[in-house]
Amino acid sequence: MKMLEVKNLCKRFGSNEVLKGVDLALNKGEVLSIIGSSGGGKTTLLRCLNFLEKADSGEILVGGKSVYHAVDGQKPVVSAEAQLSFGLVFQQFNLFPQYSVLGNLMLAPKLRAKRKSTEGPRETAEQIAARAQKLLETVGLTDKANAYPCELSGGQQQRVAIARALMLEPDILCFDEPTSALDPELTGEVLKVIRSLKDSERTMIIVTHEMEFARHVSDCVIFMADGVIEEEGTPEEVFDRPKSEKTRAFLSKTC
Amino acid sequence: MNFWSITLDLLVGFGETLKIFGVTLALALPLGLIIAFGSMAKFKPLSALTRGIVWVVRGTPLMLQLIVVYYGPGIVFGTPIFSAYSATYITFTVNYACYFSEIYRGGIQSITKGQYEAGQVLGMTKSETFFKVILLQVVKRIIPPMSNEIITLVKDTSLARIITYYELIYFAQRYIKNGGILWPLFYTAVYYLVFTALLTVFFRWLEKKLDYFKA
Ligand SMILES: Nc1ncnc2c1ncn2[C@@H]1O[C@H](COP(=O)(O)OP(=O)(O)O)[C@@H](O)[C@H]1O
Ligand SMILES: [Mg+2]
Repeated sequence: MKMLEVKNLCKRFGSNEVLKGVDLALNKGEVLSIIGSSGGGKTTLLRCLNFLEKADSGEILVGGKSVYHAVDGQKPVVSAEAQLSFGLVFQQFNLFPQYSVLGNLMLAPKLRAKRKSTEGPRETAEQIAARAQKLLETVGLTDKANAYPCELSGGQQQRVAIARALMLEPDILCFDEPTSALDPELTGEVLKVIRSLKDSERTMIIVTHEMEFARHVSDCVIFMADGVIEEEGTPEEVFDRPKSEKTRAFLSKTC
Repeated sequence: MNFWSITLDLLVGFGETLKIFGVTLALALPLGLIIAFGSMAKFKPLSALTRGIVWVVRGTPLMLQLIVVYYGPGIVFGTPIFSAYSATYITFTVNYACYFSEIYRGGIQSITKGQYEAGQVLGMTKSETFFKVILLQVVKRIIPPMSNEIITLVKDTSLARIITYYELIYFAQRYIKNGGILWPLFYTAVYYLVFTALLTVFFRWLEKKLDYFKA
């Protein structure tokens, strides 16, 4: 069974068709990279997966269960678990400035524990704090636990944002150009962290312009242009033997 | 009539001034937030109505509003509805709530969309995001304009005098009427100055308290 299936996702802004029927399928633990020139709809796709935009039509299934189903012109059907199935790391980090690093990690899980009514015992504050500490280790920021976002470099802030997203244990974690807002010398530390997250459990979708990184971290790569998936395959297939003319043109420009 | 007994007497008058100040703040701070949400409502008739009210209240003199609320009902219905106390509290509260609402609105709208989106993708509800993430950032940003407005309120309280609310200025004027003593009226300035100085110190302190983050 697929971890994630996206079927015929369409999204318009006014008369501008930004996603023209996108299909995706990912197994658990797979890493998908999405490349493509700007304006191709990559961000919009991730935003639809995280329900920051409502796709006009199409379906999203997580673990075989439909979490979002929209038919043109009708109100979409969104399941209660839909939001927490996905996590998103933004290009601009979007950390909460008034909370310390630890506070940023713990805020949403604490609120969830307070709200939670169904299945299983509530997570205690101590358990949440212990998980936060562990994730800070994962992203290499144990010593910054009590720092505030304004005291961190961009690379450190993005690593905090990654840990914060992981605190909610999403089924699928999405990254929208996680290093594009960073100084070149800081991209390495963030890419290294993302690479270290790859294991049999974590399913990830990464929109990136870092071609070398995409080649090494991905199980499959998608080239998106004008709202459609122009080419799709293993990193070797897409980078070394691209079939589409558009892909070839794009790669020759960037590499 | 010695200096100290007049000082004490004026202090009683200043107590009445503080009542207007306290009641207005306590009611207008939350009411302003409600009005701010009203003026930002997606439901057009509601936002248009709210903005209309804010326009009228901010576009006419507070003194005129006091007179209308206090004397208006008597003229229309033949019998007054509000005492000087309630007319003052109602008018000041609504007037200041409208000013506060515009400051709140500016503050709320200055927070980037990304903060709301981060809250949403972390599974937080809209109200959790607002109260746990947005609000303190708004507070930090609006302290300077709010402190301005609140210091203005201290002095605006003297307008209540014209609808026979017995506050500090009234207390001082009695000395002119009853014995031709003028200086207590000038002396009232000290009360306002001391109080606004305290407020200034308080807002400085609050600004410092929120200095630990950038928003
Ligand atoms: N909120 C929006 N309103 C209107 N148009 C939008 C909006 N978001 C994105 N678009 C348009 O959608 C297209 C795809 O944008 P985007 O998904 O950001 O592409 P990419 O991330 O691949 O650069 C662009 O033409 C952009 O102008
Ligand atoms: Mg983009």
